[in-house]
Amino acid sequence: MRTRARSLLPLAVAGVLLTACGESGSSGSSGAGASATASGDACAPVAGDQLVVLEDDQQLQNADNVVPAVNMATAQANPALLPALDAVSAAMTTAELIELNGAVDLQRQNAEDVAAAWVEENVDAAALQQGSGPIVVGGANFTESTILADVYADVLTAAGFDASVREVGNRELYLPALISGSEIQVFPEYLSTATEFLNRQVNGSTAEPVASGDVQATLTALRPLAEQVGLVFGRPSEAADQNAFAVTRAFADELGVSTLSELADACGDGSLVLGGPTECPDRPFCQPGLEETYGLQFAEFRELDAGGPLTKAALQQGEVSIGLVFSSDGALAQ
Amino acid sequence: MLAADEASNPWFDASYVTGNWDTIVVHLRQHVTLTVGAVLLGVLLALPLALLARRVRPLAGPVLGLSSVVYTIPSLAMFAFLAPFTGPLSATTVLVGLTLYTLVILVRNFLAGLQGVPDDVREAARGMGYGSARLFWQVDLPLALPAFMAGLRIATVSTVALVTVGVITGNGGLGQLIVGGFNANFYRAEIVTGAVGCVLLALVADVLLAGLERLLTPWTRAVA
Repeated sequence: MRTRARSLLPLAVAGVLLTACGESGSSGSSGAGASATASGDACAPVAGDQLVVLEDDQQLQNADNVVPAVNMATAQANPALLPALDAVSAAMTTAELIELNGAVDLQRQNAEDVAAAWVEENVDAAALQQGSGPIVVGGANFTESTILADVYADVLTAAGFDASVREVGNRELYLPALISGSEIQVFPEYLSTATEFLNRQVNGSTAEPVASGDVQATLTALRPLAEQVGLVFGRPSEAADQNAFAVTRAFADELGVSTLSELADACGDGSLVLGGPTECPDRPFCQPGLEETYGLQFAEFRELDAGGPLTKAALQQGEVSIGLVFSSDGALAQ
Repeated sequence: MLAADEASNPWFDASYVTGNWDTIVVHLRQHVTLTVGAVLLGVLLALPLALLARRVRPLAGPVLGLSSVVYTIPSLAMFAFLAPFTGPLSATTVLVGLTLYTLVILVRNFLAGLQGVPDDVREAARGMGYGSARLFWQVDLPLALPAFMAGLRIATVSTVALVTVGVITGNGGLGQLIVGGFNANFYRAEIVTGAVGCVLLALVADVLLAGLERLLTPWTRAVA
């Protein structure tokens, strides 16, 4: 034990140092705007603190909206359960999810307090149908899932249930538990991710993907799959945690763009520098998708991380013009 | 590059510990329960195995070999194998895995302790009319106790470390804090609380077992 815990600290320190290297060290090759592409520099990176997401107007990304997943037997036995969770979906937006994540991840507030304050402000407890009995809400071990599980539990408590939160591990383990319903009965899921997980479970690992960027179409595909395994999904909220492409506000203002299509129109000269995870140049959701769906052209691809500190720092310091982030990241500007 | 309202992120933060005390205690309690449970179950399994391996010599090799092979299974894979049988979210998954891992240390040390009991002492006891139960309690156990306790201490300390891997099932004790801190935009205070908690727990467990060993073997110090 002692050796393990000792080795953790140096590891963590190394992590910090590596992060620091990524932030400052990559400036060695930052002459990106002036590099080989002689076609122009209209869309060269612009440094700035605030990051904004460009709207995915052609729906390149799967819709990963937050949606309540409930054990079917529990939902049927407690008719007040789904309406209470749908009340959360009705009030939750991506902007608010960003704010909640930021309160915990950046301002270091307690997730339970943040969730309680949001419910207090956004859900009319008096209007909820009343139920009763114990309900366990599962939450995965990351900030957003913890907050959403706390929000669900608070709303269910307001609706008369005896709700508690249980921390769980990987989806491969908690989804079977949700289906069996003995240990957890409710989970804040993500629409497309859950759909594809159940699609592979029901139709085999080589099943044709059925999730898409269209929320309603994905929900229509999800419902029969869920019914087959014994789950019920509530109403998807507007809030989504999915792949998104961010630029600095300074960059967006300078070009006057707010969607990826507008970016493609403004950046015909191929001077964009893209930052993302290692697999980005090969994955349809990343560079190939941007090129084929939007007709964007890139001067360069910079290998960073999947929406982590490296990508955000590279954007803010003007190393890349556009980078892959997650749409509900607490660091995104409102 | 920091957003304006970003809080500082120190490694050590007493307000994190006081503000999240209830959560920490829940994880700590689970950590202790899993460790104690796994080591106790390990002892209950390892003792008969060691006795068997001493009595039937040809079995010693396979018993030691098997417990070592179990130890080489990566803990993440072990929990994934066990989960379908023990329930996906249940702490039993972690308990069973940890128990199997203690065997490699406990069986080896128990067997070494038993083999260290001099044959002439056992023969003399048998000549005095000791039955096998009395021989074990009054001759084998006291003489093998230092080796037993050494094994118990190593197994306990290594189990305290391994509990953290249970985080993939949501039952990782203080490991929940370590991984949770990484997933909360690298919250250092949370990570350090989990890590330091593990170290302290291992130290306390080791000191307690060392004290127990002193209590149980007064004769080792009487000579001085």
